[in-house]
Amino acid sequence: MRRVAVIGVGVTKFGKHERTSAELFAEAAADALLDAEIPPSAVQALYYGNVVGGETEHQLHTGPQAASILGIPAIPTTRFETACASSHAAFRHAVMEIAAGVSDVVLVGGAERVLNVPTPESTEYFAYASDAGWEQTLGLTFPGVFALIARAHMQKYGTTEEQMAAVAVKNHKHGTLNPKAQFQKEISVEQVLKSAYVADPLKLLDCCPFSDGGAAVVLASEEVARTRTRPVWVLAAAAASDWMLLGDKRDLARVPATERAAAAAYRQAGLGPADVDVVELHDCFTIAEIVATEGLGLFEPGAGGRAAAEGRTSLGGAIPVNPSGGLKAKGHPIGATGAAQIAEIVTQLRGAAGPRQVADARVGLTHTLGGNTATVLVSLFGRD
Amino acid sequence: MTEPAITLQTFFERARDGRLTAVRCRKCGELAIPPRQFCPACGERAWEAVRLSGEGAIESFTVIRVAPRAHAADAPYAIAVVKLTEGVSLLGRIVDISLEKIAIGVPVRFRPLVRGSQTAVGFGPA
Repeated sequence: MRRVAVIGVGVTKFGKHERTSAELFAEAAADALLDAEIPPSAVQALYYGNVVGGETEHQLHTGPQAASILGIPAIPTTRFETACASSHAAFRHAVMEIAAGVSDVVLVGGAERVLNVPTPESTEYFAYASDAGWEQTLGLTFPGVFALIARAHMQKYGTTEEQMAAVAVKNHKHGTLNPKAQFQKEISVEQVLKSAYVADPLKLLDCCPFSDGGAAVVLASEEVARTRTRPVWVLAAAAASDWMLLGDKRDLARVPATERAAAAAYRQAGLGPADVDVVELHDCFTIAEIVATEGLGLFEPGAGGRAAAEGRTSLGGAIPVNPSGGLKAKGHPIGATGAAQIAEIVTQLRGAAGPRQVADARVGLTHTLGGNTATVLVSLFGRD
Repeated sequence: MTEPAITLQTFFERARDGRLTAVRCRKCGELAIPPRQFCPACGERAWEAVRLSGEGAIESFTVIRVAPRAHAADAPYAIAVVKLTEGVSLLGRIVDISLEKIAIGVPVRFRPLVRGSQTAVGFGPA
């Protein structure tokens, strides 16, 4: 298998936009190609994440649409849908294609537009990632899924609402250092605790926002990457799944797909959790970050809440998590999120993250979770 | 061709009549809701339908206050993962228990929630 590198990254500002998801992706992709110093004609394939385009934009077939708007209509392109992990799944596919020798340069990314519809409508579309016959009929929401996990985690490990609030406070603080973040305002633990319940015990400020945005990364074979100035190497790209129904999950306080994908990624890279310097992980809700830090082996099961409250995951802490502001503050345009996390880790490993730079970051990890915890992708990155 | 012991449609038809159904593997005894083709424990395709007691206890719960469009009129409402006495768990809407009395460990009993042609899983007081 050939080595694969990321040679260019691009991300739009996240938040509300008056442009289609295809236009948002095109902006990010153009930036990524400029960053890679590579012409669009060099791109041999495009793999693209987009989730609710069929609902919010009445748009399917978004792969060729994205290739067309870039002006490279002839290349093979496919849309990937694994709920919120879509563009990370697209990334893994592209890595395998280059590693196998099928292509040398592949563009990967995603985009989403949801702020053009009212919240009850987007809440319904996001719930489509849960089973239609068994769970949607109950009125289960995406915050509801993580509320059930939060309650189980609180019961089993004694995790508190204050510890969950500490995650939101930390990620908002990091977000103030990221000009592309949707929220660039600090919040306090008290503000989180006083915000309205969305799905008990999760409150409004425990939840990431709905967002519009796009992200893209350019991947290349080692041969091409060696001609670039600052390649970042893909050390692992792993995926795992779990039962679709919440009732089938044996222990709601853990996410087995994260544990499986992390084990596979560490094995591929020949590394362990202690080797990781910086992490971008899937904090769609504050409890999701706590459970992810445990599943990735950064802390023991049950210790994630305390670690966050003690500042161990803050910039300057033992293992900085979500220096970009995470989904919580940077925003969560679901089709774009996986690619945006990869863009942040690449920026960190290049030493180009400015005021949010993690000092001497050599190994970075991205973790993206799909919907009801049934899909997880974990990738590892390193520099020369 | 193997006929499934139970389909999604027949599960909910029985549920509508108040009968909660699972499938049990004839080879290894694995119990599951919903039905699957292959036993995740032993890989066999030897399922038989079995009736469950419908009794269980709340394993985790939430109160949904921001609801999807189709359920907005019901909010706030409680959803729980219920561990049934037979050992399998199922997600359902909690009905006829006031929201402040819902807690982990509270005993509940299955009841169908019928709305038009649609049936969903509900749990009321034991």
